Amino acid sequence: MKIIGAVLIVLSLVVAIAPMFTDCQSQGKAIVLENGKTVPMKCHWSGVAELMVAVPLFVLGIMFLVNNNRMVFRNLSILGMILGIIIILIPTNLIGVCANPEMICSSVMRPILILCGILVVVASSVGLWLSFKKQDQPV
Amino acid sequence: MAICAFLVAGFAIAIMLILRGTENSLRLANDRLGADIIVVPEGTTTKVETALLMGNPTEVWMPESNLAKIAAIPGVAAATPQLYLSTLNNASCCSVASMFLVAYDPETDFAIEPWLESTIGRGLSLGEAVGGTYVFVPEGEQNIKIYGYFVTLKANIEPTGTGLDQSMFLTFETAKDIARLSPELALQPLIIPEDSISSVLVRLAPGVDPMSISAEIIRQVPGVTPITSPNMFQAYRQQMNGLLASILLVLGITLVLSGLMIGLVFSMAANERRRELGVLRAMGATRNFVLRSLLLEASILALEGGLAGITFTVLVIFLFRNLIMRSFGFPFLLPDPGLLLIEISVGLLLALVCVTLAAMIPAYRISHMEPALAMRE
Repeated sequence: MKIIGAVLIVLSLVVAIAPMFTDCQSQGKAIVLENGKTVPMKCHWSGVAELMVAVPLFVLGIMFLVNNNRMVFRNLSILGMILGIIIILIPTNLIGVCANPEMICSSVMRPILILCGILVVVASSVGLWLSFKKQDQPV
Repeated sequence: MAICAFLVAGFAIAIMLILRGTENSLRLANDRLGADIIVVPEGTTTKVETALLMGNPTEVWMPESNLAKIAAIPGVAAATPQLYLSTLNNASCCSVASMFLVAYDPETDFAIEPWLESTIGRGLSLGEAVGGTYVFVPEGEQNIKIYGYFVTLKANIEPTGTGLDQSMFLTFETAKDIARLSPELALQPLIIPEDSISSVLVRLAPGVDPMSISAEIIRQVPGVTPITSPNMFQAYRQQMNGLLASILLVLGITLVLSGLMIGLVFSMAANERRRELGVLRAMGATRNFVLRSLLLEASILALEGGLAGITFTVLVIFLFRNLIMRSFGFPFLLPDPGLLLIEISVGLLLALVCVTLAAMIPAYRISHMEPALAMRE
């Protein structure tokens, strides 16, 4: 369980930090309006939303490290799975990234976030499985 | 041991996927072009192949009169001209920067029109275009702006994993209309030289040898290079073969090193359990039973590690396919599920064979040890 906690903490850091260097804004690209002002592209807002998901995931990882109660692990694992799914949905369905496949947000940021989301779901699923396994032994 | 199997299976499947994906992509691009021979101006073969494969725009020209000469060669069933153009880079008059544009002649075309007929039920009109799978109308706009001219995107072609996915197809009429209006609408005019074309797609009559027609084209039409369909993208295929040799070498080294590592780890793990195995033998277990148990354990670990390695690698290649395509400079399209399943099985089998072979010697040694000796030490 401690290992799962450490994995979730690392993944939460990747989810929080990766968009800062791989969204279009980090490459100096923005939408230029008719009046000359610039606004960030939607991949930037996906990155901001991912940061907001990464924070509870980080806390969840720490709780995995400091807890010993099987029921708590079970609940944390379920929460981790939900957060993992949200991490996947933000750049794919909820907000999205730029449509051009050549843009860095589409070719790098989105795959990193989807991969991290899948790993969070897998790690949480393992946690859930372990919390049900060997009821008589400490986790 | 499972980590070694993870690496072996993952590496093997990655190689197979990338090589197959590239070949798959080249074949689809060839099919999409739909020509037995493509005639391009002399010395521009690589430029045209790069444009078609990677979507890097190119502008090559040859006299339009070549079309009639090629069409008149006996054995040529149909010949159609194409113009290769590109949008401007970082100009507000073009919605998409540096996009490869292919203009075709609807009257003689046999490559794009049949596809259009089956998709939108008719050919393209003035101001209309079809795009590769990644060509899209920018958000908040109704049309795609090219040299200040609004083009309506009618449909998207299925993905090929090549530059065709980022290219746009329009008619000669539309291309010439854009060129006519571009001096007023665009920052830079679109120039299509008078009486010039970029390439001629040739379809041969049934049973005609493409090589003999190619030789005839070279003899009758000076200043052009015919590329027969099997030789299309030959430069890329040669590069792939060169890469294949190096990759196979690396795979071989990985297999040997993993084998040695697995042998060592398994030997240590089996040594740890020497007493238990000795007790098992003393209780009546045969040498063969102990050997089979040890090999079964190794196989289960190999399967677990191999499956994890394959799943992870396929996922990473699927997610990062666009980045891989751009970084390696090769076209790439994932193979269909049936072929993917075969490749996964091969990768798994490789991991299984590698681990079982590596575990064979220590397993044999331990299983053939005298029980008394094994229990004492």
